[in-house]
Amino acid sequence: MVSVINTVDTSHEDMIHDAQMDYYGTRLATCSSDRSVKIFDVRNGGQILIADLRGHEGPVWQVAWAHPMYGNILASCSYDRKVIIWREENGTWEKSHEHAGHDSSVNSVCWAPHDYGLILACGSSDGAISLLTYTGEGQWEVKKINNAHTIGCNAVSWAPAVVPGSLIDQPSGQKPNYIKRFASGGCDNLIKLWKEEEDGQWKEEQKLEAHSDWVRDVAWAPSIGLPTSTIASCSQDGRVFIWNCDDASGNTWSPKLLHKFNDVVWHVSWSITANILAVSGGDNKVTLWKESVDGQWVCISDVNKGQGSVSASVTEGQQNEQ
Amino acid sequence: MEEFDGEPAVTVIPGVNSKKNQMCFDWGPGEMLVCETSFSKKEKSEMVPSCPFIYIIRKDVDVYSQILRKLFNESHGIFLGLQRIDEELTGKSRKSQLVRVSKNYRSVIRACMEEMHQVAIAAKDPASGRQFSSQVSILSAMELIWNLCEILFIEVAPAGHLLLHLLDWVRLHVCEVDSLSADVLGSENPSNHDSFWNLPGNTQTLTELELKWQHWHEECEQYLQDSTFATNPHLESLLKIMLGDEAALLEQKELLSNWYHFLVTRLLYSNPTVKPIDLHYYAQSSLDLFLGGESSPEPLDNILLAAFEFDIHQVIKECSIALSNWWFVAHLTDLLDHCKLLQSHNLYFGSNMREFLLLEYASGLFAHPSLWQLGVDYFDYCPKLGRVSLELHIERIPLNTEQKALKVLRICEQRQMTEQVRSICKILAMKAVRNNRLGSALSWSIRAKDAAFATLVSDRFLRDYCERGCFSDLDLIDNLGPAMMLSDRLTFLGKYREFHRMYGEKRFADAASLLLSLMTSRIAPRSFWMTLLTDALPLLEQKQVIFSAEQTYELMQCLEDLMSRRPVRGESDIQQLQDEDIETTKVEMLRLALARNLARAIIREGSLEGS
Repeated sequence: MVSVINTVDTSHEDMIHDAQMDYYGTRLATCSSDRSVKIFDVRNGGQILIADLRGHEGPVWQVAWAHPMYGNILASCSYDRKVIIWREENGTWEKSHEHAGHDSSVNSVCWAPHDYGLILACGSSDGAISLLTYTGEGQWEVKKINNAHTIGCNAVSWAPAVVPGSLIDQPSGQKPNYIKRFASGGCDNLIKLWKEEEDGQWKEEQKLEAHSDWVRDVAWAPSIGLPTSTIASCSQDGRVFIWNCDDASGNTWSPKLLHKFNDVVWHVSWSITANILAVSGGDNKVTLWKESVDGQWVCISDVNKGQGSVSASVTEGQQNEQ
Repeated sequence: MEEFDGEPAVTVIPGVNSKKNQMCFDWGPGEMLVCETSFSKKEKSEMVPSCPFIYIIRKDVDVYSQILRKLFNESHGIFLGLQRIDEELTGKSRKSQLVRVSKNYRSVIRACMEEMHQVAIAAKDPASGRQFSSQVSILSAMELIWNLCEILFIEVAPAGHLLLHLLDWVRLHVCEVDSLSADVLGSENPSNHDSFWNLPGNTQTLTELELKWQHWHEECEQYLQDSTFATNPHLESLLKIMLGDEAALLEQKELLSNWYHFLVTRLLYSNPTVKPIDLHYYAQSSLDLFLGGESSPEPLDNILLAAFEFDIHQVIKECSIALSNWWFVAHLTDLLDHCKLLQSHNLYFGSNMREFLLLEYASGLFAHPSLWQLGVDYFDYCPKLGRVSLELHIERIPLNTEQKALKVLRICEQRQMTEQVRSICKILAMKAVRNNRLGSALSWSIRAKDAAFATLVSDRFLRDYCERGCFSDLDLIDNLGPAMMLSDRLTFLGKYREFHRMYGEKRFADAASLLLSLMTSRIAPRSFWMTLLTDALPLLEQKQVIFSAEQTYELMQCLEDLMSRRPVRGESDIQQLQDEDIETTKVEMLRLALARNLARAIIREGSLEGS
């Protein structure tokens, strides 16, 4: 049974663009066209405003929580071309860093797996992707990929950290050599996969072509220990594709159409165990999908906003096993 | 081509009815976030009043029910016991064990039902009273289904026993006394009835019973045909019932609470030695007759029918859809799997249906602040995806207290989940560093076997020492033991502290050797050498000669090394160089002290040799 367990009144004065739960599900960050970023404590069904962060000069499009091992850190990106990193120090939230290296709206921010360190990827309407790496003592190193996507980049999503090669334990004190990868989606209708080379430069590794219009979102599925990699993408063309790569070298990606919707699909996201994909469409609905035995994707639930006094009690049907 | 039965369920989020805006969605670790938004990114939003609410939605809210918690806790114990049943056990002994497990599950359901019933009665307001009552009926339905599954699939009652079990089953669930049975038992030919129902422990074979019953049945038919009881319509109708006449039975419909009651009564009189495989025929027709075309079957009816048809998969599927949480199907399927009744279908998630359902159930438990611990055990018994699911879930448990953190760590360590241990310890270590609890940070980094972090914390310790002149958390540093080897800096920290201890105990010779070795072995970071050499001063100034000539030469070498700023291999300069003036003075003092000591040492050693 799916039920509403809490309703948080954010008191945003304008449209909300993103809401993100922190790692443990205890805090909620929201951002809005009213240019503010707010943080709430939502434990035990409550809602306490912890911070009302001002600093952006335009609508704020996305927020992203960093992994808790780095402390309480939140990144936000905005139409004002800036990315701001906020940090909680001694109980208060403050602006910790501002990145103004883009010529246009920054549309998406995504933190890398914590194993790589504290790294933030940012995608912008100026077509570039910038990568901010924390080097200590309040310093951030910037790497920029110019012209990653012509016209603009709409989304970035990191691949889960997988130690390459053998499973032999690295000697303690040495960092395993991770191959860092992330995916981006842009206005050139493409999804691109990027890989960090040994010299620290980022190189375009793959181009995934299947959409016929702007790619609005990409989401790399969390790893569940299987040798396959999975990426979900959605587009202005109303289609959602699931991309699978079977070999460990990451070379052959094959798309499978999840569904063709009648309207723009804006957002795709994976549940933490990667078994459910949520799709936010232009048809005012969020649909939840699960993969069935024969590899077909099945819609298991429709979350629909609308008039009504009581939320209907519904259940997620189990997937068809025949 | 797969067909998913039925349309996907729709959840309506109560909110502002707006046809213009879309819904923004995100996953939390255990819940979902939904809010109204507009995805088309315009700088100025249209003047449409926007909804400032964010809805947090969740499935598996049942985990929060106080009473159901007992169900979850106790069934967890039964589940574990079942997994541990000796796989070697076969045949009758295995079956009786499995039946016992099934009965245990059922008694837990009944206990829960009882408690909820009490609460329902005691409820102050009618709304919650109704809610509890509906929960009671759901639990009752669950027990009804489980009981039937036990009879048909686990007990595998053969013809003869089957009807007895079904009679018990119906009696258990029908509150009112079966007045018909009471009548019959007290009526004509009681002796025949008595001997007939003496089944437990009697030695009659099924054939003998059938013959007896046939004989009795014919006798009754004879009475009817002869119109022996024509004068008494009540007795005649009774006779018809005894002959299993459906119409007659249905006339007493008000006494029959439902179709399966009707079914069993019917079987009692028309075919008491019914075979399991024939059940479904009677079941379907009983349902149809009883409903009489006036109403359609409910989900519960369909589930029971599926059971009578021995279609286990259908039973599980329908239960999954009808019930609001995975508890029932997960545990029942697991038990049936132990009875080797489930064919293995290869599902994407989990190696078979059993694992799939257990994974879903266990994931739901992780939504709860304390029930998650039960979930761990369930994941343990999911061979394919249990481990990785546990890894993903356990990292998300908020570590509000040290106790909880230790509990989580213990679970991870027991399962060799080194990545998770490292990650959790790192989170706790960083939190400790930010709160300036260096000792705590150090223990966490040692537990995480995180050399890099241990180095970082050791550096902080050393810096603290330089600033304040004393160590914090002496206990910890003194008792590092083999953990000291984790990182060079940590080893240095430990050894340095040992030097101070030795000095305090006046073991000057040992202290001196140690101090020197810290530099010559390059364990000490170069930035710390000045401090070490300064520490050597009091030893050099002692009345007795502590450093030998050779040691003094080595110390001099170290000093010159430091002064010439020759890069020493393997060092990283962290600490800032001391103030120029102070350093020059110190160096002067050191040079003097070293020279003096050298002189004294040479003399002393020369004299000893001479005599």
